[in-house]
Parts: sequence; C-alpha cells; structure tokens
Amino acid sequence: MNSLLNPQTPFDSSAHDDFLEQMLSTLGPSSCSSWADETPTAPPSAGNSDNNVVFSYDDSSNLASKFRSHQISAGAAASKSSPTASAAAAAAMMLQHQLMMSRGGSSSSGNGAPMGLSLGSNGDFNDVGDGSSFKSPNPGGGDGGSSVQALFNGFTGSLSPNQPQHFHHPQGGALQAQNYGAQAAAMTQPPANGSAGASAAQPRPRVRARRGQATDPHSIAERLRRERIAERMKALQELVPNANKTDKASMLDEIIDYVKFLQLQVKVLSMSRLGGAGAVAPLVTESSEGGGDCIQTSANGGTRGGRSGNQTASSNDSMTVTEHQVAKLMEEDMGSAMQYLQGKGLCLMPISLATAISTATCHPRNPLMNGNSNNNHPVITSNGGEGPSSPSMSALTDY
Amino acid sequence: MNSQHSSSRPNSSSLKSRFTLGFLRALKRLNRQPSSSSSPPQTVSSPREMCRRYLRIRIAADASMASAVGSRRAWSRALLLKIRSRQSRSSNSSARRVSMKKKCLGEKIKKKKKLKCCKEINKLRKFVPGGEAMDACSLLDEAAHYIRCLNTQVKVMTRIADN
Repeated sequence: MNSLLNPQTPFDSSAHDDFLEQMLSTLGPSSCSSWADETPTAPPSAGNSDNNVVFSYDDSSNLASKFRSHQISAGAAASKSSPTASAAAAAAMMLQHQLMMSRGGSSSSGNGAPMGLSLGSNGDFNDVGDGSSFKSPNPGGGDGGSSVQALFNGFTGSLSPNQPQHFHHPQGGALQAQNYGAQAAAMTQPPANGSAGASAAQPRPRVRARRGQATDPHSIAERLRRERIAERMKALQELVPNANKTDKASMLDEIIDYVKFLQLQVKVLSMSRLGGAGAVAPLVTESSEGGGDCIQTSANGGTRGGRSGNQTASSNDSMTVTEHQVAKLMEEDMGSAMQYLQGKGLCLMPISLATAISTATCHPRNPLMNGNSNNNHPVITSNGGEGPSSPSMSALTDY
Repeated sequence: MNSQHSSSRPNSSSLKSRFTLGFLRALKRLNRQPSSSSSPPQTVSSPREMCRRYLRIRIAADASMASAVGSRRAWSRALLLKIRSRQSRSSNSSARRVSMKKKCLGEKIKKKKKLKCCKEINKLRKFVPGGEAMDACSLLDEAAHYIRCLNTQVKVMTRIADN
C-alpha cells in the first residue's frame, strides 16, 4: 500500500482526510470506510489481500493512469498547487483503490458486499450521461467531486458497456488482470455509442459542475476542438462508403484510402481519354515489354495493332479502353494495375494459359480470340463470372 | 445531413456543370494541338508522348475542377497555385520562391500540429492539396469537400469517357 500511496505523498496531508472520508463513506460499506480510515495513516500490512490488490492494481494502473492523466493532469498541470485539484486526484486514486480492494476482496470471498457496491455504482453509470446520481452522495464534494465523477463516468462508461458480466465472476487477480487487459484493449476501440457517450460524458459533468478553475479555459478549448473534430469526422464518415468503422484511426485510414482511390480513378480516366485517340495499341505493346510470357505476341501485336487501331476505337470500346488503361497502369506501377483490374472483377493471365483454356473449352472461338489478342496486345482479361459483354469478350469469358 | 445535402445540391449541380464545361473546353484545346496521336505508331517517343498527354489531361481536369470550385476553398487555391507554379517553373524563379515559402510555413505549422494530431491526420495531409498548412479541423473540412468534388470529377469523366 505504501508503494501505491507513494506518488501521492503530497496529498497525504490531513487537510484532505475529512473530504476523502466523506467521499468514501458515502460509497462504502463498513469495509470500505474502514479502509478509508486506514489510508491516511500507514496502512496495516493486510497480507494476502494487499498482495492481491497490488497485483490487480498494477495492471489497471496503466488503464487508470490513462484516464487520470487525461483528466486531472490537464487540470493539475495548470494549477498544481490548487488543493481541490490535488484532492480530486487523491480522491480519484482512492476511489480506484477502493474499486480494486472491493474486487480483490470479493475474489477471496465471493460475491460480497463490496462487489455489490461496485456493481451498484457501476450500474448507476450504465447510463453514462447521468452523473447526477453520483452528485447526491457528494454534496460537499464540489469541484473535486466533479472530476472524480467524470473520471468514474469515463471509467465505468467504458467498462459497463463492454464487460459488465465479468463483474459477476471474480476469479482471483488473474481474471481481474485479464479483465483490465481486455478492457484496456477495448478502451482503444470502444463502440461508437460508448465512446461518444464516454467522451461526451467526460466533458458534460464538468460543465454541470461549474468548475470555475483557471484551468478550465484550457480544457474548454480542448473540448471544443475535440467536438469540432468529431463533427467533421462524422461528416466525412457519411461521405466515405465504408462507414462502419468506429475507431477514429481506422476511420481516418478509410478516408485516406478512399481519397487515394478517387485520385487513382481520375488518373485512370484521364488515361482512358487517350484510348479514344486510337493510337494506344502500339504504345501498349511497347509498354508491355517488361512482362514475362505475357509478351509472346508483342511483336505481332505491334504490327497488327497499328492496323486494327482504328477498329478498336470504334468497336468494343469499353473493353479496349479497360485494356489500355491497364496497360498504362502497368507501365507505371504493377500494383495499381492489379488494383484496377481487381476493382473491375477481371484478372490477368499469360497468353499461353488463356489459349490453353480456350482451346480446351471451345474450338470455334479460336479465330476470334486470335484476332482479339492482337487488339489486346498481350494482356488478356477475362470477366470473373459475368456474361460476355461483346462478341470479342466471349472468347475470354470461359474463365 | 439533410441540410447539408440541400445546401450542397444547388452547389454541386452548378459545380458539376461548371466543371464539365471547363473540362470539355480544356479537352478541346488539348485535342486541337498538333499531336502525333493519329499518326502511325512511333515506337520510341510514343510512350513519352502519351505520358505527357495523359499528364496534361489530368492537369486540365484538376485545374478545371479547382477553378470550378473557385477560391472559396483552401484546397482549390492550393491546387491552382501548384499548377500555375508548375507551369511557370521553367520560366520563373518566383514559382520556386512561392513553393519555398509554402514549404517553410508548412513545416512550422507541421511542427506545431504534429504534437497534437495523430499520425493518420498527417498522412491525410499528403493527399489533400494544400493540406500541409492546415490544422486538423480545417483539414477534415477540406477533405470532405475535396472528396465530394473528386466524386463529381470522376462521375463526369466516366460519362465523357464512355461516350
């Protein structure tokens, strides 16, 4: 316990004791209050329970410190000497200790009153936006209480939607550690409502608590900024098609990918504009020199491509346009070419394979395919399951 | 969302028509240029020619899009600036000065904002034109508008390409 209290040695002044006791007593059954009595003084070596508490606390300390640093250090950093801020920090830590204790205690003794207490207090906060239930026990809590409320709200707000059932099955510190580990993981990706509720609940009780501290302008500005960003993220979510991501980071990744995709589309479309010019076939055969056995007929394709260039412009426009686009993309970057093809539901295969397939399936289409392969310059694309869009495609759709 | 749509619908329809007009005009201008596109295949220079033509077309598309949007948006301003500076790069050194200034400003702001914003937002800056010199809020705003305009651009260009 000493080690746990060490970071708060400046807070151990007796001036805060009555405040702490009030807070803890309102929450607590006798065990908790007795623990509260102990905390200001040197805590007794409670043996096993201490060890349990220490063990489970270590794992949750990261979690709690996240919220604590988020909430309190923002305030405490600005006014380190303000008593209520420090009291709030102390109270927050006390509450967490108490939570720890209650869970640790129940681990050894089954579903005891402390567990019920934590459940009850958590149950109060299932509706995350409601901080008033916490307010009533702490009429004198004032500003310190509000920060603790907010902390508790945030804490349980994320805990309760995720794993309330875990509270019913305390099975020693290991499970507690697992819970906290899982919750810590879940904390990073809370459900949208939970996160929105938690993030909304954290600032909201602050406003209601009317914190007139000098630290508030900072936090208010921060909160405003965060809210604006959240608004814009929501607007972006509506624009981008895959809007089911709840995490801000993955949502941003989606947005980035979508912008990349749109820019690539513009690129490809501007390439296709050139396809209408009809001079692409020779270029295309030229550009595909880098391939493997895809280039078998490149020499033939070159000469015949020049002849049939006019034909390509008129007939089978969409298919040749696609092919030309793919050729262009391949010239620059194979990856984007593959992406483009996949987006269209097509695939690339070497000519030898395509000829093998078509000869294996149906003979009469061979001449068509030969004529086609010259137009296509060595790339042959086959529709993945769609019907032939044009007579030239029929040879290639036996995929 | 409804209000957004109602407010953006008149804008987008006129934006679309404006972009279409500008783009078609640019295309006509490009096609009128004496190019070797219709001549018999030139083995060596054609890839480069086609590449250049493709680049010109894409620049025309971006420029017409940006001018259709006007100077109301930061990204359109940045895009137009970039295009114009690129075109005058060979002739002037002023373009270099402009790009240098932008770089310095962008770096200063980036240093400030890197501390606050997460990495993904910085990644997004690269894709939105002019995104280097914006803070997170306005960056997201610009990104939303940019996405909408890109959508319009793609729709119009697919229609043109399919005809």
